[in-house]
Formats: sequence, C-alpha cells, structure tokens
Amino acid sequence: MKTNFQSPQQFFRQRRLRLGIVLAILLVIYGVSMVLVNFQTLASLMQVPAGLIWLFKNFIPTERSISYLGPILYQLWRTLIVAVSSTICASLLGLILAILGAKTTSPLPGLRLVIRFGASLLRNIPVVAWAMILLFSFKQSDFTGFLALFFMTLGYLTRAFTETIEDLDGEKLQALQAVGANYFQCVFCGVLPEVASTLTSWVLYMIENNLRDATLVGILTGTGVGFLFNHYFKSFRYDAAGLIVLLIAVLVICLELTSTQIRRAIA
Amino acid sequence: MIENSQSDSKVVQPTPNSKRITLLTKPRLILRGVLIALALVTVYSLVTLDAGNLKFSDAFQSLGANLQAMFLHPGVGQDTWSLLLRALTTSVALAMLTTLLGAFFAFFIAVFSARNLVPSWLATSIKAVMAFIRSIPTILWVLIYSVVMGLGANAAVVGLTFHSIAYLVKAYSESIEETSADTIEALKASGVGFWPIIFQAILPSIIPALLSWTFIRFEINFANAVAVGAAAGADDIGYYLFMASGFYFNFHEVGLIVYLLLGVAIVLEVVSMKLRGHYLQKN
Amino acid sequence: MLKVIQLDKTYGQNKHSLKDVNFTAQPGEVTAIIGPSGAGKTTILRSVNQLIRDNGGKILLDDQDIRQANKSELRKIRHHIGMIFQNYNLISPLTALENVLHGRLGAKSTFAGIFGMYSTDEKQEALALLNEVGLGEYAYQRCDQLSGGQQQRVGIARALMQHPKMILCDEPIASLDPKSTKIVMDILRQLAKEKQLIILINLHQIDIALEYADHIVGINSGEIVFEGPSQAVDDQVLQKIYRQADQPKQAVTANEN
Repeated sequence: MKTNFQSPQQFFRQRRLRLGIVLAILLVIYGVSMVLVNFQTLASLMQVPAGLIWLFKNFIPTERSISYLGPILYQLWRTLIVAVSSTICASLLGLILAILGAKTTSPLPGLRLVIRFGASLLRNIPVVAWAMILLFSFKQSDFTGFLALFFMTLGYLTRAFTETIEDLDGEKLQALQAVGANYFQCVFCGVLPEVASTLTSWVLYMIENNLRDATLVGILTGTGVGFLFNHYFKSFRYDAAGLIVLLIAVLVICLELTSTQIRRAIA
Repeated sequence: MIENSQSDSKVVQPTPNSKRITLLTKPRLILRGVLIALALVTVYSLVTLDAGNLKFSDAFQSLGANLQAMFLHPGVGQDTWSLLLRALTTSVALAMLTTLLGAFFAFFIAVFSARNLVPSWLATSIKAVMAFIRSIPTILWVLIYSVVMGLGANAAVVGLTFHSIAYLVKAYSESIEETSADTIEALKASGVGFWPIIFQAILPSIIPALLSWTFIRFEINFANAVAVGAAAGADDIGYYLFMASGFYFNFHEVGLIVYLLLGVAIVLEVVSMKLRGHYLQKN
Repeated sequence: MLKVIQLDKTYGQNKHSLKDVNFTAQPGEVTAIIGPSGAGKTTILRSVNQLIRDNGGKILLDDQDIRQANKSELRKIRHHIGMIFQNYNLISPLTALENVLHGRLGAKSTFAGIFGMYSTDEKQEALALLNEVGLGEYAYQRCDQLSGGQQQRVGIARALMQHPKMILCDEPIASLDPKSTKIVMDILRQLAKEKQLIILINLHQIDIALEYADHIVGINSGEIVFEGPSQAVDDQVLQKIYRQADQPKQAVTANEN
C-alpha cells in the first residue's frame, strides 16, 4: 500500500470516494435488475408479512390432511432414496475419476485435463437442464431424477474429491513408495484411508443438498414428493401441501443433525 | 485390507496374550458403519427404482441422439437470439437482485444471531428459524409466494430472497463469530456502543469472508433463477428451457440454452477467481 | 486519583478471585500491579473499567464510584479510561490512523459512530499522536503489517485519543522483545509525567516494574500483600508476593490470560 498521502483529509476523501463508487455500482446494478425483472421492491416487501400470515392460516395441516400422510410419507421415502442412491453412485464413480485426475495420483497427465474439463461441464449445467434433457428419454420415472442428480453430483464430487486428494501431504505417498508399494497399494493403503473421513463428509453434504434438489427435480419430472406437492398445491389442497413442506423441513433438519453427528464422530 | 494411519499405530503394539490384533479404532468403525448403511440403501433403491416401462437401451440411445443434437447442432429453434439473450439477462438480473436483497437483510439478522454479540437464547432462536427456512427448498418458497402475490417476477424475487437470507445469515453469523473477542472488548472498554462496533470494527475485519459467501450465493441464485423459470413460470431462460424441451422437443434450442448457461457459469468462475485474487493480495 | 476499596470477586461458588482489595493510584505516577500468574492481576484491572463485573466494594475515580454507574454513565466513564492490551487488539485490516481514530468513537453519537465521521481536528490530532509515539510515517499502513512494538504504540495512541484520565495496561509488554519493551515503557512513563495521567499496569516482569513504576501493588492469591513506593520493595517483600500458595490455584487461573 502506498503511504504518500499529504494529509489525513486526503486519505479519508479517497476512502470515501472508493466506498461511494462501490455503493453506487451496487445501486445501479440493483436498479437495472429491478427494471429488467420488472420487480417492485416496496410493493413486494409490503406483501411479505401478509404472505406469511396467509401461509400460517392456510398451510397449517389440519385433521383432514392426516389422511394424506400415507402417500406423502411413501413419496418422501422414495425421494430420499433417490437422493441417497444418486449421491452414492456418483461418489463411487467420482472417486475413481478423482484418483485418475488428481495431480498426486494421476497415472496419465493428459487424463487430468479431460477429467477436469468434464467435471466442470457436468457441474455447470444446472440440475434443471439435466432434468429437462433426461425427461424426454427417460419419461416420468424415478430414473430421470436419479440420473439428473447423478450427473450434477458427479461433477461436484469429482472436483471436491480431486482437491481433497491433492491437499494430501505428498511425503506420505513417497514413504509408501519407498517401502516398495506399487501404484494400487499406494492408492488403497496410503491415499484412501487418509482422505476417507473428508470424502465421507462431502458425500453427506451432497446427500443433504440432493434431497432439496430432488424436490425440484420431482416437480419438473412428475415424480416423488415434488410432484405430490405440485399436485396438492395446484388443486388448492394447501393443508396437504403444508404438511409436505413441514415433513420435508423435518427430514432435512434431521439429516443435517445426523450428518453433523457423524462428521464429528469420524473426524 | 491393511489400514495405515497414525491414529491406529498405538493399537498395534505386539502384546503376547492379545487374541486378535485389531486395526479398527472407533471413528473408523463408525465410518465403516455409515458407508455400509449408505451402500445398503443404494442397493435397495437401485433394485426398487421405479423405471416404468422403460427400455434402457432405447432410452440411452435417444439420450445419445438428443445430446448430439444439443451439443453439435445448437440453434435458436422457434425463438430468436434476442429473445433468448434477453431471457438470459433476466435470469442474471434475478440472481443479482435476490443476492443483493438477501445480503442486505441477512447482514442485520446475522448481527442478532452471532453468539459473541447477543445473548445466546436470541442467537439460538434466530438460528433455528433460519435453519427451518433453509430446509425448505427454494422452489417451494417461490410457489408458496406465487399464490399470495400472483405468478411472476415479484413472487420469484421474494421466494428466492427468502432462501438467500436464511443461507447468508448462517454464513455471515459464523464469520462474525470468528472475529476475536479481544478486539471487540478493546472498543467496549473505551465506551463504544453496539452499532459503531459492528460497522467500525467487525465489518472491516470480515469483508473478505462476506464477499466470498455472497458470491457463492450468487452462483446458487443463478441456478435457482433458472429453476424458478422452469418450474414456476418466471419469464427467464429457465422458462424457455422448459418450453423447448418439454413442449417443442427442440433439442437444438435446448443445446443453445445450455451453452448460454455454461457461458455465464464460466464468466462467474473467472470473476470469482479475480475477486478472490484481489482480496488475497490485499491481505 | 483512583481509589479501590474492599473490592471482592468470586467465580462460581466461593472460589475467591479477589478478596478485600484496597489500593490507590495517583495521577502523574506509574502504578504497577505485580504478582504470580493467576493471582488476580487481570481481574483487578478489568474490574476497574467494569469489563468484569465484581461482587462488592467501591472503585472511585475522582470520587465517582464506577460501580454505581448505569449503562450510559458507564459508557461515558469508560470513554475517559484508555486501555492497552497484551495482544494490542487493533482492527488489523484497518490503517494505523483509523485505529487511532477509534479512540474517539466512544464520544460520538451512534450515527456518527456507524459511519466513522471524524472532524478535521480529530484527524489532525490522530496524526499528531502517531507522530508523538514515533509512527507518523506508518499512519496509512495496515496494522497487520506493523511489528508488535509498533502495534502496541498504535494502541497507546488510540488510548490517548480518548483524552483519558487514566490508562489501564494489561500485560502491555508480554509479547514484546526487549528493545520494543523499552520504547513502550518509556512512552508510558513520560505520559504519566507530562499529562498527569494515572497509569495502572499489570506486569509479570519484576525488574521492569521496579525500574519504571513509582508505586507498586503486590498481589498473591487475590489478596493485596504489599502496597508502597517501588524503593520500598526488597527481597523480603518479593518473597511475600511470590510465595507459593499452599493449595493449587486452578480456580483463579481459569480467568487469567
């Protein structure tokens, strides 16, 4: 940082100017976005409390909604299962790709670039696009949701796993090589045990995330609890929709708490 | 399989009368349990996955054909370039709007949910409410608000902002909690009030963390904006994606839209790298 | 004049940290509190500006009892008590100048405080204070780029910016090398003389305390065992201050850093 200010006033003037410019840019961005989206800030913010009140009035499950409990729980279970299995399958493939693609363990340098590029491609296509692309070929089935989540998760986890493996201390690998271990022994006895708990916490995080995304995918592909929500919601059975929201929240929070516990236990 | 790690080494001392040498420590045991449980759930769900009357060979063949149409022959379909670009701009604008609004409100809420600033009962209750809001998927918030405010931009913005606030409050309050208690105490000792401490002491110390979290949320919000267009009919690129693939079955257009989305993602990645580099230099 | 009368502090149930503490500190003098670690030095210092709430007694600063002050009165009193710390406790991404100006925040309205609005005079004064502690050329440097001794001098300038009647120094030289220690202690002694300030210092280096302090308060296990001019401190007194307590003192150490 340069220290050649003539006076404190000059220093503070420059600082204020810089802050002013940043704030002005943010305001302009906000204003332009508001116009582009056609959003009325004040009017909408005023409606928020009313919205919440409406929500509490209509979305509270009543006795009548208990009758929907059966199908809801079933679909919730299906959604959870799709979220878990897509994450696990993606993590297995992701692990293999990460080992092949990480700087420290890659057998071929050329492979690294291909895997990096592929992972970045998979990651950056929104899950919505995946769902819509797959919907055409795989129709309205759990499999569509499974594949959509699978591809996106594969992109994320390959990158996360690669970075985790690359963070590993290179000397530990050299120690194993010095004992005369071959490539597979190095990977399975040296690398994997070291990174296992970090990788598992990434997997747990992705499961949480995918449960939420699975709802969205469900709305688009007509499966799982997302479809059920959409169905009740569009037929004005708000109490049942509210029950779904509540159950999803409970499930996500339980999952979060469990995985926090697991993370602490395996750390 | 032979396990090798430092934590195990103390277990492996050769004691003459131990019957079986174990390499398993408790965390390792739990890790195994978790992995086995997850594997079982996966196998179960793969077996019971409802595939309808899908013929997988046909399905994958058609997927291959579609991917080919998408990525090798992208085109505008029945829409025009200007329409699609405008829709893309709308998505970006939607993401910016909701991130800025979310960051603004989240900062003030985060101040009241940081354990080192307010009594812990208040922090805990605010954090619990935020965890609840966060646990409900963004798209549901948008749909819920679209009943109250009517389908369209306003509901989309409010719904997206809701989830952004809950996400950012968690991130911001954790950043605030990381500022050292001693520096806060130093200003308290000279009689400085609550809000001046926040803006003069805490804010300058955590700006890099706040920026980085806000930018991450911006990326999430962009993906969410696309989702909202597809699922709740906001007039952005998501809507055209939904129409092209779900109604017109025009995979050339889907391909073009995916390319556009990828383009935005790359720009965001570059900007975030620049931003981080800029701040790393300063620190 | 600072007068501490029958100050009492317990942590939890009957774990006494301070017991019947009485002493005075005069303007124009450096008063050092010495004693083994865990004796309660920090607790005394932080009770004086009520960062730690004590359980009983009186703390009179110019005949006003700090313990009786309500929240806004306490803020006003605190504004006239400067404090410097072992770890300097500056806002590290901000410049030295801005950190010194923080000394004025306590005197400002909430609004002016939030936006950091300082008058031209205040800015000039902050720069002058930095020159006084020999850091004029570092005014626009970020604080985390300064050395420990320099940061501590910024801390002193921040305390002076409050126009204090008294400066509390909590182990101000514990993290400094001998050369910086000398600079910092020289500044503190000079301030006491020139500005007629009450300077109250926690120290664990006896030699420094004897060299720089006019007045010594010796404490052991939360009780005052000696108070008097530094010339009166001899081996016998030191033995009394630093004698081993009969039982372990974890209870007291818990809150000392």
